[in-house]
Parts: sequence; C-alpha cells; structure tokens
Amino acid sequence: MSPVMTIAWRDIRSYFASPKGAAIFFFFLGFMSLFFYLFIMTYMEYAQRAASMGGEGVSLEQLIRAFFDNIYFILLLVVPAVTMSSFSEERRNQTLRLLQTSPVTAMQIVAGKFIAAVSVLAFVLACSAVYPLFIKMYGNPDIGVIWTSYLGVLLLMSAQVAFGLWVSSMTNNQFLAFLFTMFGLFLLLILNYYAPNMASGGIWESVVKYIAAKEHLDTFFKGILTVADVTYFICFVAVFLFFTNIVLDSQRWR
Amino acid sequence: MIEVSGLSKRFGEVQALSNVTFTVPKGQIVGFLGANGAGKTTTMDIMCGCIGADEGSVKISGFDITEQPIEAKRRLGYLPDIPPLHLEMRVADFITYSAKIHRLASASIPKKVSEVIELLSLGDVRGRIIGNLSKGFRQRVALAQAIVHDPEVLVLDEPTEGLDPNQILHIRDLIKSLAGQHTIILSSHILSEVQNTCDHIIIIHKGSIVQQGTKEELSSHLQSEHLYRLRVGANSSKLASVLTAVPGVTMANIINQDDHELEFGIGRDNELQLVVETVARQVLDGGYGLREISAKTRSLEEVFFQVTQ
Repeated sequence: MSPVMTIAWRDIRSYFASPKGAAIFFFFLGFMSLFFYLFIMTYMEYAQRAASMGGEGVSLEQLIRAFFDNIYFILLLVVPAVTMSSFSEERRNQTLRLLQTSPVTAMQIVAGKFIAAVSVLAFVLACSAVYPLFIKMYGNPDIGVIWTSYLGVLLLMSAQVAFGLWVSSMTNNQFLAFLFTMFGLFLLLILNYYAPNMASGGIWESVVKYIAAKEHLDTFFKGILTVADVTYFICFVAVFLFFTNIVLDSQRWR
Repeated sequence: MIEVSGLSKRFGEVQALSNVTFTVPKGQIVGFLGANGAGKTTTMDIMCGCIGADEGSVKISGFDITEQPIEAKRRLGYLPDIPPLHLEMRVADFITYSAKIHRLASASIPKKVSEVIELLSLGDVRGRIIGNLSKGFRQRVALAQAIVHDPEVLVLDEPTEGLDPNQILHIRDLIKSLAGQHTIILSSHILSEVQNTCDHIIIIHKGSIVQQGTKEELSSHLQSEHLYRLRVGANSSKLASVLTAVPGVTMANIINQDDHELEFGIGRDNELQLVVETVARQVLDGGYGLREISAKTRSLEEVFFQVTQ
C-alpha cells in the first residue's frame, strides 16, 4: 500500500472508530430526512392545490433541485466537522510528528488526508441516494439530472474539503478550524449574490462571480456537464491542497 | 552516523540553540543531558526534520535531513517527548501502521510487528485500544513505533519518562541491547540514566553544548587536581598534616575520623605516580597502617552542576 493510501485508510478507520463518524452520519442523514419530508409535504400540497384549483404544481425537477440545493447548506456544517480534525487534532496530540519524521512527503500526507475526508463524505453522500430513489419509486424524474447533480455535489464537496484541510493545517484548535472553514464556505456560497455590490459591473463582477461556487454548481443541477465547471472545481481543489502542502512543508524551514 | 554541525535556532526573542555541533559514531549510545528548557527537544526536532534550523545542518547516515529528507528519514526512528500515539487505535494496528508509514516491505511487516511486540513485552495488550493503556504501556508502544522499521539511527527524547522503576530498568536494558547495530542518541535530565546507559555524554545548557566526552573524560577534564581516597589504621589527623607537606599534594582532608579515611589531591602538573608512591611511603614509614588507596572520580552530578552554573 502506498504511503498516501496508508494515511488515508488510517484516517478513514479513525473517523469510524470514534463517535465522530456516527455523529456525521446522524446529522447529515437526519437533516436530509427532515428536509426531504418537508419538501415532499410541500410538493404534495402544491400538487393537491393544482388538482383542485387548476394551474401548475411543483415539478419533480424542482423537487430534486430543492433537494440538492439543500445538500449544499448541510455540507456547510458537515464538511468543517470532518476536516477540522485532519491536521489540528494531529498537531494537538503530537501525532503529526509521526508523519513528519516518516519518509513521506508533505504532499503525500495532504493527499492521504484529502482522500480520507472525501471518502467519508462520499460514503455519507451515497447514503443520501435513498431520497432520489424514493422519488424514482413514485415518480418519473430525469435520472441524468440526478447523476450530474451528484457529480456536482461530489466536486463541490471535494473543493470544500480542500479548503477545510488548508484551514485545519494552520491551527491546533479544532473549534477554530471548524469556525473558519464554515465561515469561508459560507462566503463562497454567498459570493455571487454579493458580486454586484462588491464590484459594480465590469470584469471584476465577472471575476467574483466566477470564484463563487454556486454559479458553477447550478449548471450541474440543470443536468449540464461542462468542462469549464469541472475544471473550476479541480483547480479549486488543486490550489487549496497546494496551500496546505506549503503550510506543512514550511515547518521545515520556519 | 549522526553529524550535527553549527545548529542555531531562534524562537522570537529567545535563542533556543546556538552553534550546536556534535557527531555520534556508528553503534554508539550518546546521552544528551540538560536541564528542562536547555534545548534538547529543539535539537532533536531539528535532527528528525520536524522543524527547521536557522543555521547549520544535520546528516543522518550521510543524508542531509533538509536536502534529502526521505532518504534520511528512512534511516531514522524517533520517540518524541510526548508519545505520538493515535489513542483510538489498537496496539498491534498502530505498530503495523507505523511500519507501513516507515516504508517497511509489506511481506516483512507481520513478522517485524510480532518481534517488536515481544521485545517490548506488549503481548498481553496487543489487541487493546491505546487510549485505555497505562502511561508505561503507552511509552512502550511509542518506542515500538520508533524501532519497528529497524532504523540505523534512533533518537529518543526522554524515553523513560513516566515509567515505574522496573520498566525503567527494562527500557534501559533494551536501549543498551540495541546499541551496536543502531546509533542511538537519547536525551534526559536524569543524570543516572545517562550515566548508566550511554558511552558518550553531551551536556547542553541554554542552547549551547558546554561539555562532551565519555563520563571519565568529563570528570577528569573538569578536575583541577586528581583526587585520591586513603584509608589507614590509625592517627589520621596527624597524617593529614603530614601529607599536605608532601610535594605535589595540593590538599588533604579527613573524610571519616572513626574510619580513618582521608582524601588528598594531586595537582595536574605533577608526576602522578611518583606523588602517589611518595604518599604511600609516608604512610608506611610513619606506621599509620595502610589499608586502602584509590583514585576518586567525580560523579556526573558534580560535573553537571559545575558546567551548568
């Protein structure tokens, strides 16, 4: 097993060896169930109203869209909870020294941690497939949209994890890591709404909008897969993993 | 095997290390002795690549720790002052993980892990969660992660800290048994530990090396005179004044009046053997009854206090 996978596998097992993994599952799926129930109730209410009073009800596509939009908000809480311990806890427990004195590069450590966090979250995300399956059982949704939406959420989650790892690498306080990651991810979400205020038109508004993740995610939610949007998320991941690598490596010369 | 040259490190306003230079030859155990805050852990952290130095270099088996970190770290086992343990893991799993992360060949890992578990008497706890173990066991698990990949160089920062007397003896014997094939540097603020375990001693004080050498070299180097112990049959008080008149003898004191025990010093510039013979002749000719005459070395404690004050 390569050092990257050794580190990743240890971290994955660690998430599930402690109540942390169970708590993440509980909150993610608990919130998802609650919101899904509320969405279905609203959908039924509109459908009944449309049937009795005429007009159009809510489409299945809109229901699915609401479901995936909702995942974004839940990830704002769940991703920081997963990434906050990646480096902060190792630093606080001094176990980071074990990695620092082993024949592995900083990039291998970062890659291992990244794979572990994404795997845990991907596993949680996979469990959320029960809700679209539920819709499929009782309706006829566009499966393509569900696939692209899941791909979008997976890419978004990877980007959020990369950001979270970078924050976690800079502190030995897990609470601070959680707080700053959540703040950063929230900023990323609202950036495109504030783009017109931050830069009044012109190229700067476009730049700010481009940085905002929401804009790119929306194309996935519409069932469109573009190279530009996939590239955006891959670049985002690469940049923050590189920053994390610099933070770790800098200890050798600081 | 370990070459440390000109290490300097500053933390803000505090000069943690300044121009630390030493070499540890292959197969030796070197004791790094210093009070708390003297710079032992900082030196070891730099040696193992945890932190960088402002100046200077460290070579492990000829590989520079900053220029060729992977090659250097392959040959290195480190037990830090705070054991780097994943408390949620089981003992055998953690040692296996350490072996993997130190790039031990997969085929040899189970055998190596079993050997280390046996060597450190961890057999009874191999399936237990580390967080549930006592401090002594945890320290042994931490030592296991440092030696599982059979490193050429072992860096042990206060390895017996927190252990009970039996465990201390066990770990000391283990460290001694590892010498020869491994080059070991161990830090401690416990003088007896360094004295009993190490071939060579380095004393660090306020970030600088103040003395280094074998225990005997350190003792003799710091003495301005050679000390001897003398026990006679009778009349020791008279003998003391007689001895002070012997050429080359710098002082003579009674240590134990009832036992007629004295100590006397011979200046370093004198012909040692000649002066000792003269003293012995005086004792015999004077009819004091020579019982014992022996060279006295200073304890490491005396040396340590002298150089760190």
